Amino acid sequence: MSCTRQMSPCAGSRSSRSLAAVMLAAGIACAAALAGCAGVEPWERDLHARADMKADAHDAAIDDHIYFSKEASSGGRSFAGGGCGCN
Amino acid sequence: MQLKRKPVGATLAAATCSLLGSLPAVAQEAKAWSVDSSLLYYGEDNGRVKDLSLMASIRRALDEDRSLSATLTVDSLTGATPNGAVPAGVPQTFTGPSGGGSYTVAPGAQPLDTTFLDTRVALAANWQQALGTAMRWNVGLSASHEYDYLHLGLNARLERDFNQRNTTVFLGAAYGQDEIKPVGGVPVGLSPMAGEIDDGTDRGRAGDDTKDVADILIGVTQVLTRRSLLEVAYSYGQSDGYLTDPYKILSVVDPVSGAPVASTEDGIDFQYLYEHRPDSRTKQSLFAEWRYAFDRDSLALNVRLMDDDWGVQSQTAEARYRWNINERSYLEPHLRWYSQGAADFYRTVLFEGDPLPAFATADYRLGDLDAYTIGAKYGRRTAHGEFSVRLEYYQQSATESPGAAVGALAGFDLTPDLKAVIVQFGYKFDF
Repeated sequence: MSCTRQMSPCAGSRSSRSLAAVMLAAGIACAAALAGCAGVEPWERDLHARADMKADAHDAAIDDHIYFSKEASSGGRSFAGGGCGCN
Repeated sequence: MQLKRKPVGATLAAATCSLLGSLPAVAQEAKAWSVDSSLLYYGEDNGRVKDLSLMASIRRALDEDRSLSATLTVDSLTGATPNGAVPAGVPQTFTGPSGGGSYTVAPGAQPLDTTFLDTRVALAANWQQALGTAMRWNVGLSASHEYDYLHLGLNARLERDFNQRNTTVFLGAAYGQDEIKPVGGVPVGLSPMAGEIDDGTDRGRAGDDTKDVADILIGVTQVLTRRSLLEVAYSYGQSDGYLTDPYKILSVVDPVSGAPVASTEDGIDFQYLYEHRPDSRTKQSLFAEWRYAFDRDSLALNVRLMDDDWGVQSQTAEARYRWNINERSYLEPHLRWYSQGAADFYRTVLFEGDPLPAFATADYRLGDLDAYTIGAKYGRRTAHGEFSVRLEYYQQSATESPGAAVGALAGFDLTPDLKAVIVQFGYKFDF
């Protein structure tokens, strides 16, 4: 539970104006959140093994291509890439 | 190097088969091949871009530690796309990209390039292999082709588990080399659009051009609790070369009346300049995703912050809730919100008499814009595989550059909203 609470700085930082400062703060907060997490035993990870606990790589690739074509940003989860004359 | 390991893998597989000889053969072969395919329709309103895309991935697991995958994508694009010019109170005629055709836009209408038509074929292949019990690496190749664009790329990624596999650190790198071959050649940045010419001259164009794109990605996935997971990734990308859109232009208008300025070129009524962007761009982004497993359902939330040295800053937030209706079917509502600030050199128009800037674009994709996506995916498992259908609505609202709406331009919608529908049918199965 404590890990969930420590995670909130990551999600709450998007409204800040200075992006460099936000990235640094978010990185530090997330690192602190990760460092504070106790291990979960292998036999307790049954829920993590469910297919819906992983991103759908196929849909993610399609979405990346659509948004890369229509917006100035790309990547994040994976490579910003390119490979298309659409932007 | 990998090929030399193959006999070892085959030996191991044979040994495994011997050990598991008493198990039914079906159980051992059930997941050797995986196929994931989709047919996508993306359609914008007002006769703008439509894309019909087929994507198919096939993965072959050679054993527990090694797999090879390949993905083929075919996109068929039609429709019209904004050329960057602004509406006017009179008809405007633009020269087609080849210099040998033209199209006319009605008074008050957003200038759309109706010559837009493309087919894209992309291929990617990826090899994944375990290195011991706690490390994995994969390496991939990518290539895509359009009649005016060629991409070739390499990528690699290394993952290492720590802390009883509660923590996974990953590091990736990608490099791509693209060749841009616009119809009629690459226009000189900020040079005037000439009239329709059929004499075969190069009209000051410079042939083809290239760009290189390099990315690195570093991140960590952490199991937080029995139910939750956090992934954080930082990426840095560097692009060098021809980063301008060869088909985009800017209108030159009177700074008081907002009316288009007469051209001094033969065969064209008004002044339009080809856009010009810097020849390098550095991007960085921070991505974080949190997943939570309920007893039956799950929730995924992610945010992304991006900035680049063109002055663009963006924020993205996404939420997906997976409602596992029963063992066979699910419904997954999806929300996405996106906001970006304009590039330093974005300007909706150029004013007559102003000094020519070093760089300028009127491409709305580099302007101030907000967008959202709302939709849902429904999936149903059968005895043979899983069908899915995804339906989404995407809307983008852009804002013109400050001070652009002078005179008559104040009466036009300089940045009309973009509305699009996304429909995707999917089918995946193992054999």
